[in-house]
Amino acid sequence: MEIANALVFLAAALLMGLAAIGAAVGIGNLGGKFLEGAARQPELVPLLRSQFFIVMGLVDAVPMIGVGLGMYLMFAVA
Amino acid sequence: MTLGKGNLKQGAHSRKTRSRIFKILLIQAVICLIFSAGLILVDLETAYSALLGGAIYLLPTLYFADRALRFSAGQSAKRALAEMYMSQIWKMALMTVGFAAVFITIQPLNPFSLFGTFILMQILNWVAQIGLNTRFLKL
Repeated sequence: MEIANALVFLAAALLMGLAAIGAAVGIGNLGGKFLEGAARQPELVPLLRSQFFIVMGLVDAVPMIGVGLGMYLMFAVA
Repeated sequence: MTLGKGNLKQGAHSRKTRSRIFKILLIQAVICLIFSAGLILVDLETAYSALLGGAIYLLPTLYFADRALRFSAGQSAKRALAEMYMSQIWKMALMTVGFAAVFITIQPLNPFSLFGTFILMQILNWVAQIGLNTRFLKL
């Protein structure tokens, strides 16, 4: 039983850890490209900001579902 | 700092984006409420789980949109990026706390309904953002 519980926590940790790596890479790339675009054409900052906002929503969706499932495993299943 | 013509134009763009994002969030909230109301016919537990899933998505996103797209004319790229990152961090933290609080305090709960509504809200966000923002597809 203790091993089963430990495996559930391990699964939750993997879910949230891998989700965090994915989100970090995605959002890091996004921020880098935003600065690149803003440096090339500073007058486009407001436009780039709204596109940045939209893509941020796309990038962080799946990691947040992963975090939610991890929380469910830790607090409701284990 | 004086507001030049360019800054006023930038401000108008920010206001337009902000109002569009809030309109999308309002549509999502209405759909979530209708979805939950419909699920009352199935089961009360399923219905409130769906409502909680929607709330866990909508409240942090509302905070994120409000903070990240706050209007300020002539904002620098560095400041915009910092504000966007800070609001994103807070959004993630609020969602994590929301999930933990719901799973700890509310029992019984239907996880399929909760995650189903959460995922539905995410998909609605993608579809609405790309559908309403036609300029996004041209970039």
